[in-house]
Amino acid sequence: MMSRWLIAAICLLFSSQLAGCVTQSQPEELFQLSPESPKHRAMQTRMFETSDEKELLSASAATLQDLGFEIEESVSDVGFLRAAKERSAREWGQHINRFMMAIVTTPLAIMEAGPVILPIDLHQRIAASLITRPLNPERSRYEVRIMFYRVVWKGEGAAGRSSFPPGEQRSEMIRDPVLYQQFFARLSKAVFLEAHKI
Amino acid sequence: MMRPYQNARRTLGAWLVLAASLQLYGCAPEPSQDLFAPTEAQMKLRSFQTRTFDVSDRQVALRAVIAVLQDLGFIIERANEPLGLVTAARFSEPNYLEIVGVTVTVRPQGEGRMMIRANAIHNNKPIEDPKVYQNFFASLERSLFITKE
Repeated sequence: MMSRWLIAAICLLFSSQLAGCVTQSQPEELFQLSPESPKHRAMQTRMFETSDEKELLSASAATLQDLGFEIEESVSDVGFLRAAKERSAREWGQHINRFMMAIVTTPLAIMEAGPVILPIDLHQRIAASLITRPLNPERSRYEVRIMFYRVVWKGEGAAGRSSFPPGEQRSEMIRDPVLYQQFFARLSKAVFLEAHKI
Repeated sequence: MMRPYQNARRTLGAWLVLAASLQLYGCAPEPSQDLFAPTEAQMKLRSFQTRTFDVSDRQVALRAVIAVLQDLGFIIERANEPLGLVTAARFSEPNYLEIVGVTVTVRPQGEGRMMIRANAIHNNKPIEDPKVYQNFFASLERSLFITKE
């Protein structure tokens, strides 16, 4: 009896700590530049010495296709492309974690609190939003800015008798600079122009 | 051992429940007409959401709007040049639980002026804080000024 109360108390403690971690941001902050904004901008943007915006945009579409993306939306008048691809999100690390966690928590089965089966990432949708923009009134220089992001779907999980259904999803911006460098390297080859950093 | 009339009573009961639930279905509330009528609060909101800029070219204004939204971390989802329309969204980081969506329209208002209107939605609720729109228009003003030079 005593131990059950103890577990309840520990659970409560943990959950309250988790709640403390989630800070609700104010919507007005979402319309303000953050200290990281210039860094993200530099990573996502390159400048090209060209006056042919259509060529730049079509080469961007071709580059995205080379990377396995499907073009979903295109508006050439404002230099806009949106593309996406769906891939598996399974990673070995998560499988190993799930296995270890299940083994460690199996003794908890006595109290119907184990084993704990961690949900793992199953599927992902990687998307890109790209904009070309003239940098001067003569339109002899253009910048290309691309943003990659992804939505990940999780599988099911369980802790003792309670289980979580699969399909929980999470969205995140992709901030790996290498991916952006690779994209711009391919794009500059496709348009036979050098991609200048801003 | 079940008697025949008991069985019949049970069937009748089932029919009654079904009939009642069908009637409930018929009575499902329709959206009230207030949802479509402009209220005073909405008129006030519209004034926060709208601003006029001294720009003659709509495409320049539209591209500036797109650039500002990108700087603010928004993902451009849709754009329509002839209608002067941009739709964008972003999610909060590192917890992705909040989503902000925004629709911006750029419409010419005669003699080299553009009327720009932004509607922002935070987790499916319209943002009614004027400060949010002030922040957006301040950034846009900066961007348009830089673009002009």
